[in-house]
Amino acid sequence: MRILQLIKLNLSVVVLGLFTLEAFAAEPILIGLSITRSPPGSVIQGTQIKDAMEIYADMINAKGGLLGRPIKLVIEDNQGLPEKGRSAVEKLITRDKVVAVTGAHQSSVCLSEIEVAHRYQTPYVNTNCWADSVRIKGYPEVINTSPYNFIVADSMAETLKAMKVKRVVAFAENTDYGIGLAKGVGEALKRKGSTIDYKFETLDRSSKDFTPAILALKSNPPDVVVLTMLPPAAYIALNQLYEQGVAPSPKTLVYDGAGMADYPDFWQNVKDAGKYMMTIGMYHPDMKMNDLSKQIAVEYKKRTKNDPNRLIYQAVDSLLVITEAIRQAGTTDSAKILDVMRKSKFEGARGLMTFDTFPGVSYQQWAAIPYVNYQLTDVNQAVGKTTLLQGPGMPLNTSKITMPK
Amino acid sequence: MLFLDLTVNGLIMGLFYALMAVGLSMIFGVLRIINFAHGEFFMIGAYTYALIATSFGINPWFTLPLAALGGAILGLVVERLLIRPLYDGYRSWSFVKDEYAVVVTFALSLLLIHLVDKVIGPSPFMGPSLFSMQRISIGPIMLNGQKLISSGVSIFLLISLAIFIKKSLWGKQIQAVAQNRFGAALAGIDPVKTTALIFAIAGGLAALSGALLSPIVNPSPDIGSFPAIKSYVIVVLGGLGSIWGSMFAALILGVLESYFAVYVSYDYRDAFGLLILICVLIFRPNGLAGMKGREI
Repeated sequence: MRILQLIKLNLSVVVLGLFTLEAFAAEPILIGLSITRSPPGSVIQGTQIKDAMEIYADMINAKGGLLGRPIKLVIEDNQGLPEKGRSAVEKLITRDKVVAVTGAHQSSVCLSEIEVAHRYQTPYVNTNCWADSVRIKGYPEVINTSPYNFIVADSMAETLKAMKVKRVVAFAENTDYGIGLAKGVGEALKRKGSTIDYKFETLDRSSKDFTPAILALKSNPPDVVVLTMLPPAAYIALNQLYEQGVAPSPKTLVYDGAGMADYPDFWQNVKDAGKYMMTIGMYHPDMKMNDLSKQIAVEYKKRTKNDPNRLIYQAVDSLLVITEAIRQAGTTDSAKILDVMRKSKFEGARGLMTFDTFPGVSYQQWAAIPYVNYQLTDVNQAVGKTTLLQGPGMPLNTSKITMPK
Repeated sequence: MLFLDLTVNGLIMGLFYALMAVGLSMIFGVLRIINFAHGEFFMIGAYTYALIATSFGINPWFTLPLAALGGAILGLVVERLLIRPLYDGYRSWSFVKDEYAVVVTFALSLLLIHLVDKVIGPSPFMGPSLFSMQRISIGPIMLNGQKLISSGVSIFLLISLAIFIKKSLWGKQIQAVAQNRFGAALAGIDPVKTTALIFAIAGGLAALSGALLSPIVNPSPDIGSFPAIKSYVIVVLGGLGSIWGSMFAALILGVLESYFAVYVSYDYRDAFGLLILICVLIFRPNGLAGMKGREI
């Protein structure tokens, strides 16, 4: 009996090996990644996306690849600059002949890259570009697994309304994402019939001193300061709000709209200024995890020694949509892959993904993207230990909000 | 009240700008070249300070001179390897290849940014504070302890530098080389050594400025572009090559930027500096303290 088992095991190893060999002897399926690998863009985000996608690509290749072929990621550095992004995607499509492009994580870069993808009718899966304008363009080649400003703004407006605050000031970085989200919050408040006195101030994201803008709030601090800024500018703004005594204070809270609390360098850069910050998050350890997200979390921690955050799962989901579409289409033909992407459901690391077909802010967007709202109540607090104010799909519980004394 | 707050904050920022700009101004005064890698000396200082203090647990006050030393050594190495070939062997400065200086310092800037990005990483890295209190109230004005201490250090350094240039033998040699390199050489001054000294001082001051601002600006590899651009504006505003002019211009720029941000538009605050630059170039091309002159 034991000998029979051994023979079976050996046979399966040989068969699996043959499959793998066959897969690796075949021409790889190339998937293009346009990410930031060097300044001035966010290299941290680019690195996280690359690491996550490599993990998922390795998982697929370990199972024999796609259509009997291995998949290979071709990486181009866009430096977070729109013009570099445009040429990176042009190179990926025309020189490397990639089947699809993904990875982008800055809205301004996305907006220039999708023009190229649209021209060549190549599938483009948006990983982390939040600006609604990416969807409003209505390009059929662009599929969005990323969070989007409309839903983030809507959620933030709902939270502000539920908090019953009177006056809110937003600091928005001067990017498509920052200004778009800050405007979106104002529009969402109007839609909801709120009487909150809301205004936003645009700040230059390359600046290192936001003190003058903060000083203007000192004599009459608002109830909430909303930040629609990304690090490192957001860290500096947070520190300067704290040092001027504007927020957090018994009167004023900070509400972050970028989900920066789960960035690996967050606490190192903000210290006391991060305490009491409320944030909208696209991932929280209390969210329901499936087998895939658990596997990704273990492997990511093993390779990088860091805990996974939302960007890791967003990156995996972007690549998953491409690979599953190829698998279901049974071909690498762009039109057929896009057709599958639009019509199918995909079980991703963050849940079941389907894409809207209505024109506008949610065009080809995973509209029901899960999000949470939580508050940091201590310095160096892990995301899992924060106070969850609103779980995915749950109502907001404002009674849990802690004000500084 | 707001006006007072803005003035104090502007003066503090101006002091930091001054620390950066005087080095750039000295290099221009003596070599007639713009060092496009000057911002990266700032970045190296910020990283040296933050990394040594946090990795080895050394008291930040002891790390501060180490950062300045790091910047000074880098300045010397850059002068010896990249800048000296510009003028070595020539007695007259008119033979200098200006375009070489632009290309080589710009390339050095990119090299240092990418080197730090690859070796240390892209994350912003907040340095430890010299002063544990993050908030200090002086009357109606609220200040960050680090900013207050750093301003004091900056004032001390700028006054010391002014005295050094005015009174010391080395300072007089620097003035002589800046006035006439060939004449200074005939008088027995070694222009090569003087140039090396200027690079060391400029590198040290920029690095020290980076170290002092490290807990405030959360340095990342590309942090140098922000102070460098300000410095170019200040050097032109103050008069190319004029150290006093640069100090004065830095304070003016810091305060005006602060007012402009609140009373006009925060969004265009940095553009305002460039607007000043354009106006100065049109109406007073020699700057506030620059002298009229023409080289033949």
